[in-house]
Amino acid sequence: MNKQRDNARAFYITMFAALVLAIVPLPALIEAVWPFWMGLVVIYWALEYPRFMTLGFAFAVGLAMDFVTASLLGLHALRLVILTYLVLRFRARLRFFPPWQLGLSVLALLFNDRIILLWINTLVGQPLPPLSYWLPALAGALLWPPLFIALDRIRSAARSRLG
Amino acid sequence: MPTGLPGVRANFFGAGAQTARLMLYGLLAIVLMAIDQRGHYIPRLRALVANAAEPLYHLVDWPIRAAESVAGQFRSRERLEATNAQLRAALLAQEADLQRLETLAEENRRLRALLEGAQSLVFKTRFAELVRVDLDPFSHQVMINKGSSDGVEVGQAVIDAEGVMGQVEHVTLHMSRVRLISDPNHALPVQINRTGLRAIALGTGETGALVLNSVPLEADVREGDLVVTSGLGDRFPGGYPVAAVTTVLREEGQTFAQVIARPLASLDRGREVLLIVPQFTDEAFIGPPDMQPEPEPEPEAEEEGGL
Repeated sequence: MNKQRDNARAFYITMFAALVLAIVPLPALIEAVWPFWMGLVVIYWALEYPRFMTLGFAFAVGLAMDFVTASLLGLHALRLVILTYLVLRFRARLRFFPPWQLGLSVLALLFNDRIILLWINTLVGQPLPPLSYWLPALAGALLWPPLFIALDRIRSAARSRLG
Repeated sequence: MPTGLPGVRANFFGAGAQTARLMLYGLLAIVLMAIDQRGHYIPRLRALVANAAEPLYHLVDWPIRAAESVAGQFRSRERLEATNAQLRAALLAQEADLQRLETLAEENRRLRALLEGAQSLVFKTRFAELVRVDLDPFSHQVMINKGSSDGVEVGQAVIDAEGVMGQVEHVTLHMSRVRLISDPNHALPVQINRTGLRAIALGTGETGALVLNSVPLEADVREGDLVVTSGLGDRFPGGYPVAAVTTVLREEGQTFAQVIARPLASLDRGREVLLIVPQFTDEAFIGPPDMQPEPEPEPEAEEEGGL
């Protein structure tokens, strides 16, 4: 019971942090590679503790992001629901992948996410983006190993503080 | 709730139910996007939720603002004096311009009285600062630190020192969201300053380019032409500089020329902006915002002067 509550605390803290990271103002150079933090955090929780990371929750978080970033309502919701679905669907396999293979899978997931985003953006009438459009997916995959370790630490810290 | 390993439900409940849920949420998201894109209902929904997001923007904005003010404390005295001198020179030049403008405004008022232009707009400006948050990188929007408690209303024009930036799209208590003219969903009625040719300036999704649509092939448009607001559409006051024409492409067989212009306002690196507050008055007055309209002179005398 306690374990679940501690996990819940870490869960909400990391979700909030990812939401804030989405609106932090950045120099143009960093912004060009700024990863989809919420996507990474969602992948982590869907892998490690899927009891929280349901499709409904992904949808709700996505809507919150849409409101906060003032993007098309439903855009982040769709991206996060698809991301969560894919991780939950292949969770059994992903969990037993060696780290490098998991990293590649994360890269594939993030690229897929960029493809969805590109598809919606072109429907809405945005111009075709330059090649640098794909950099955030690459950066996200590179940041995945340290993020994974950091999130594990946060989870165990939340547990030990109460225990 | 049955206890067990985390994720047991997701694994053994069957992929079918999960896929059904994916379809449901996906469809819901797509429907929402379609409604939002058409501009129905969603603004009202946003109005309900947006006040809750305001503290979040403050949370991001505040540390950056604090860091900037600390950095300002350490700015060297020489640099301050240099900027001071620079600003003083700029002020002097602009005051000289204003003197001329005053006589022009007076002349304009008299001419308008002759034409019996009954109603005109007096524009007041209000200073606002950008809130340091990055919204969706694919839509061109910024937050400013004035909201409904400061009298900001949806549709007000936002300019900076160089030109038109955009218009207020959404207002919360202490902040408002501004859609920039470079947003692909933004259209602005403009005219070429030199010829008076009217067009619509459409955002392209790039901060450096606007497209002027429905400019006839044989129209007199040149590179370097100044594009100003035309005042049509009742959103933007007329006569504010918007962009400079950069390329004009005329292809045989096309109905319209392809005109591309570069916005004058610093859309991606500005800090301070001005909100334009239109006020309907009966006075026929066009002039700088701080000049009070003088009492209307005798109409008879004016008419005599005209005749």
